[in-house]
Amino acid sequence: MKVKLKYFASIAEYVGKKGEEIELSGGTTIDDLLVAVKSQHDALLGMESIIVAVNGEYNEGSTPLNEGDVVALFPPVSGG
Amino acid sequence: MIKITEDDFSVDEVLNEIRTDKMGCVVTFVGVVRDNSMGKPVERIEIQVYEEMALKQLEAIKEEAISKFDVEDIFIVHRHGSLKVSDKIMMIAVGAGHRVEAFDACRYVIDTIKERVPIWKKEITPDGDFWVEGEKK
Repeated sequence: MKVKLKYFASIAEYVGKKGEEIELSGGTTIDDLLVAVKSQHDALLGMESIIVAVNGEYNEGSTPLNEGDVVALFPPVSGG
Repeated sequence: MIKITEDDFSVDEVLNEIRTDKMGCVVTFVGVVRDNSMGKPVERIEIQVYEEMALKQLEAIKEEAISKFDVEDIFIVHRHGSLKVSDKIMMIAVGAGHRVEAFDACRYVIDTIKERVPIWKKEITPDGDFWVEGEKK
């Protein structure tokens, strides 16, 4: 299945792009996705605080992803 | 009203837009760009936003605050893009019957924005550019 990744703030700079589409096997969880993304982008290996939103809602851990999901990865927020 | 914009906004226009005759007060918070951060000079800031998600989060925070503090209405505007020192970053206006609930709701809105609305600031300084990152929830 394919999911669309969006990167923001420092994560977009470490990765060098604002997003990409990646192919994952069925049943892939958010934790699995983070391992996969870090394995493709060494610059993210040291980052402990990567926040995840799936289709615009905060999510994490063992939640399985689905075909066509939009998954945003970003650092802790600093607006206001 | 919830608004995310690159453009500057008028505090007076926000006040005019939110105020109704039921309100006994409008409490406001205006965030501005300061010229320093942790003792070091800041030349300007850049603000990035995940707009679709930020709009949903701001709408949810507004509704939470209205029901939690029983205020009449809340207006939130947040800018993005490149901002110079003294520029307005964002504004919250809370209209209510009385001041106590208006101050409490305004405090709740700004504190919650800083916890969970996907917006990030980058400080542009003479020593380089640095992302400001909040605490992980």
